[in-house]
Amino acid sequence: MSIDWVAFIADAIRLATPIVFAALAALICRQAGMFNMGIEGMILWSALGAVAFAHYSGSMWVGLLGAVLVGLGSGMIIAFASITGKADLYLTCIASNLAATGGTLFVMFVLTGERANTASVFRSYQIPNIDIPVIKDIPIIGKIISGQSLLTWIAVLSVFLVWVLLKKTKLGLRIRAVGENPHAAESVGISVPKVGYVSFGICGIMSGLSGAFLSMSFVTFFMKGMSNGRGYIGLSAQNMANGEPVGSALAGLLFGFSQELSTTMKNQTNFPTEFLEMIPYAATILALGITGMVAIRKRKKIEQGQTNTKEG
Amino acid sequence: MSKTQRIETTMEVVRTLVGLLIAYGVALVILFAISDDPVYIVKQFILGPFSSPRRIGSIINLAIPFTICGLSMCFMYAVNRFNLVAEGIFMLSGCMVTFTALKLGGDVPAAVMLSILFVVGAVTGVAVAFIPAIMERKFNANVVVVSLMLNSIIAYLATWIMRYYMKDNTIAYIASQELPASAQMPRLFKTSFRIQSGIFVAVICVIVVALLFYKTSFGWKMRLVGENPEFATAVGLSAVGVSFAAQLIGGGVAGIAGATEMLSNYTRFQWTATTGHGFDGLLVAVLAKKNPALVPIGALFLAYVRIGADVVNSTGDIPKEFITVIQGIIILLVAAESFMSGTKNKMIFKAAEKEKAEKEKQEANTAA
Amino acid sequence: MADEVLRMEHITKIYSNGFIANQDVTFGVGKNEIHALVGENGAGKTTLMKVLFGMEPSQEGKIFINGQEEKLQNPLHAISKGVGMVHQHFMLLPSLTVAENVTLGVEPTKGALYDFDRAVKETQEIADKYNFDIDARARVRDLSVGQMQKVEILKALIKGVKILIMDEPTAVLTPQETQELFEQLFILRDDGVSIIFISHKLEEVMHICSRVTVLRHGRSMGTYDTSELTEASLSKLMVGRDVVLKIEKEAPKLGKSVVSIRDLVKVDTTGKKVLDGISFDIREGEVVGIAGVEGNGQTELSQVLSGLGVFAGGTVELNGTPIKGKSVREIRDLGMAYIAEDRMVEGVAGNMSIKMNIVADRFTKKDFKKGLFMDAKKINDIADRYIRDFEIACDNRDQPVRMLSGGNIQKVVVAREFTSGANFLLACQPTRGIDVGTAEMIRKTIVRKAREEKVGALLISADLNEVLECSDRLLVMHKGKIVAAFPKANEVSEETLGEYMLGVKEMTAEEMEGLL
Repeated sequence: MSIDWVAFIADAIRLATPIVFAALAALICRQAGMFNMGIEGMILWSALGAVAFAHYSGSMWVGLLGAVLVGLGSGMIIAFASITGKADLYLTCIASNLAATGGTLFVMFVLTGERANTASVFRSYQIPNIDIPVIKDIPIIGKIISGQSLLTWIAVLSVFLVWVLLKKTKLGLRIRAVGENPHAAESVGISVPKVGYVSFGICGIMSGLSGAFLSMSFVTFFMKGMSNGRGYIGLSAQNMANGEPVGSALAGLLFGFSQELSTTMKNQTNFPTEFLEMIPYAATILALGITGMVAIRKRKKIEQGQTNTKEG
Repeated sequence: MSKTQRIETTMEVVRTLVGLLIAYGVALVILFAISDDPVYIVKQFILGPFSSPRRIGSIINLAIPFTICGLSMCFMYAVNRFNLVAEGIFMLSGCMVTFTALKLGGDVPAAVMLSILFVVGAVTGVAVAFIPAIMERKFNANVVVVSLMLNSIIAYLATWIMRYYMKDNTIAYIASQELPASAQMPRLFKTSFRIQSGIFVAVICVIVVALLFYKTSFGWKMRLVGENPEFATAVGLSAVGVSFAAQLIGGGVAGIAGATEMLSNYTRFQWTATTGHGFDGLLVAVLAKKNPALVPIGALFLAYVRIGADVVNSTGDIPKEFITVIQGIIILLVAAESFMSGTKNKMIFKAAEKEKAEKEKQEANTAA
Repeated sequence: MADEVLRMEHITKIYSNGFIANQDVTFGVGKNEIHALVGENGAGKTTLMKVLFGMEPSQEGKIFINGQEEKLQNPLHAISKGVGMVHQHFMLLPSLTVAENVTLGVEPTKGALYDFDRAVKETQEIADKYNFDIDARARVRDLSVGQMQKVEILKALIKGVKILIMDEPTAVLTPQETQELFEQLFILRDDGVSIIFISHKLEEVMHICSRVTVLRHGRSMGTYDTSELTEASLSKLMVGRDVVLKIEKEAPKLGKSVVSIRDLVKVDTTGKKVLDGISFDIREGEVVGIAGVEGNGQTELSQVLSGLGVFAGGTVELNGTPIKGKSVREIRDLGMAYIAEDRMVEGVAGNMSIKMNIVADRFTKKDFKKGLFMDAKKINDIADRYIRDFEIACDNRDQPVRMLSGGNIQKVVVAREFTSGANFLLACQPTRGIDVGTAEMIRKTIVRKAREEKVGALLISADLNEVLECSDRLLVMHKGKIVAAFPKANEVSEETLGEYMLGVKEMTAEEMEGLL
């Protein structure tokens, strides 16, 4: 077994990109106090939106914009059902993911007449990979950093932007306020539903970028069910980092590595592929379990700590 | 008061029906918009499922797994847990049942064979449902995400079992060896109206689960815990324990669903991905308002729409996947509290006003 | 008054469930005044202030601010008119800094960004101006309760508050913090802020307020200059009985001890002792009443006794068995019945049928089963019998409980709890918000069960009528302690009771000896 570690790391970063976007999408909603599982479906719609917009406009950039708009729109639908329609958010998200699985296939069929993927009908557009002049000649680092997709760089930028948004802007302050205590936010005149819609909007943009990466960078066509659990994995990633942007991105990277590990081992070993395919999902469950366990331990410790101070 | 109750009950039914109608309307509009021959297609969608005994039989056959999965989701939904593990259990149960049947071989008599297989299915379901339930109980891990991830894992696990332990290398497609005859549940009629004997399993399950829900103390506990966990605790029930047990039983029922579908509708295990039955079960449970006795109605409706979609699918220009969009819309409309709540409140208010006016009139009369 | 900054006239507020919280209340607040609004729990103080802060619409009445009539629709509107409110339960965001909390809603910005430095500066300026010792960069979760309250006041000040409502601000403070708060309130007052000070701590009211408006059962009992009053005369105005209720009952024949509580201590999550060394017994045949202003440990006591809450120290025995670590089921099996304080939360499952609610505590028992199933006939018979016995007005036993009126819902609760066969009855606010007839039935039944069925009952109620008339022995709770005990409840005057309830007086251990 010989692994090209440099390529391994570069690929892991590539695989992490859509997960990082998904994690950012999930954490915005979480900061506003909503557990949004609908990201999975939003990514799927966006991936289809990307190739469709790109094909019909003939422009990659319109495709990217289309993905973002589709993500935004699908986010608004969930927001409308749960905030205005007062439907249970879990049920709403399950329903919308279900609709996305079949709905994307349906729309794809209507547009292309194909049932598996759009490759043979839609022209393929690729978001450019960025070669960085000087750095690309540095050994190892050059191969890892240079040649990554533009969207990977946008993901890095997004982590920073989301951090700025949450920590440094008025809107971010309000989102956090609503998430932490909606009554307190209301008492100073903040509209809680409005903040909810805005959060879903930003979440939609992030989901859109995630979808665009899948269908315009990772591969250059849309295919059935291509989000493949990334929405849930992103949810789990931000959960590991308690909704902090940088930590969530790092957790996303970790999941990227687990996916790359599964791919590499598939090529390099005789291990049954089915078990390798399970790795990302098992990692998600494991992460949820460990995060939960740590949180519970911590809470117990605080409680005990308080008992101690009380006695002392 | 009785008027309010009547209005509420009526409005619940009306709301569900209007929701279905709207979703159905959306389906028709979609068909109309994209079809080359809309009138024909719409007619096929609505009437097609009833056009031959074979298709009517298909509706019933399709409703069988929907019913049992709907019952499974009733357990999860009754204690307010959206544990979606039924989706994976359905597939794994089919796999384990096949595996067991192949291991036991053709010498075991049918009655013993089928009994063993259903137990295997149910145990598989309980074992799998245990994972998200215990993770929620011990680690406070989100039961929805865990169950969905688990479904993906199960899909690979079942495929692996099939490929490495049951694969029939003599056939061109990927499938297990054929089930021994004693493990195949017969079809009921030899004519084109072919109904699976799984219908008996479904009927028994509906009766048992409905009795469990409404006639046994466990059913009462479950419903009390689902409606108001604080109250349930205050009268001495263990809310955590009851909801945990309900999820395990729900898993067992999903296991029976998978076994039934496998044994009565297939001769080889050939699923390579989860089948969507868990989500169908959720829709059915939502439509039935977690009442097991209404589950078959929801299941038959869903089966009818599905067969309609199959019919138009076979004409070539409409893919049947559009049905999942319709399913999503139905869940949303039925679940949205605000949907038509204005109308309901207005009616209750009006009734109350009227009652008050009548009372006052009566009082005025007696006073006079 | 000519320089009145606020006047509320003829305010009537009826909640959608028909509860009249305020009836024709009129009061005014002058400039440079700290005006007290006093009254027992449920007297309508908070509701009145919610109307003023735009959180609740009133059915009738007018509000004038600086002589101008205003219709206050929502908090934002009220804030813009210079009204600010410091809620009893803090409306703070613990994970954020002081400056962020204070400026939330009026955030300073620099370009697209939130200007944290300016927020800190603005917060610090205001804090310095009014002599608030607080670090604007600190996280709220690291602050003491007293400092959190300052943050709440700063939140109002930064929005230019002219009329500041303080809802029981001293309830959570230490004496030192209270003193500090008062000094700051004086500074605010002298700076032209009118303060409405809600409290039932009479000593404080007399100390800092110039005038006081008394509410009782939703009505105003008038506005007085504090100089005209003594603590005793004020407590008499606050605590009173509108209708005198009489329950005929002979002296109790006491039997063995049913419940025995020794040195009970319960600590809340912040480490505060909410029950502080409580000891008393309840014997067969008697009704022990607990009076007290709400929030002095009564709820916590009922949580401990019902098995719904844990306790840190001491022992509680029910019929001779310690209940520590026992589940609700086990405690109920030892002989406890529980009428919960909030009937819609712990008393019934609203969507469930009357029948199920009536047998909710006992359907798991063997006698209700017939083979695998529930004994439907037996359950139906029981439900029908209790519906008849307790005169529950309903269509049938399968009607969902939530469709009944409040009184009938409570009848469902007592139909279950009175018939469970328990010999300890824990009744918390058993007649709150229900009609007079049902209330009378419930009170009489509690007394009758004690006399005829050898039940020991503990009655916790904010309704003085009820505790004075139903109880045999009467205990008074204040700050998690028992501060007074009377052998015969119906011989205690409201004035005396009021002084103990409000902490004006406290009995010594010797005085209470033999009464616990």
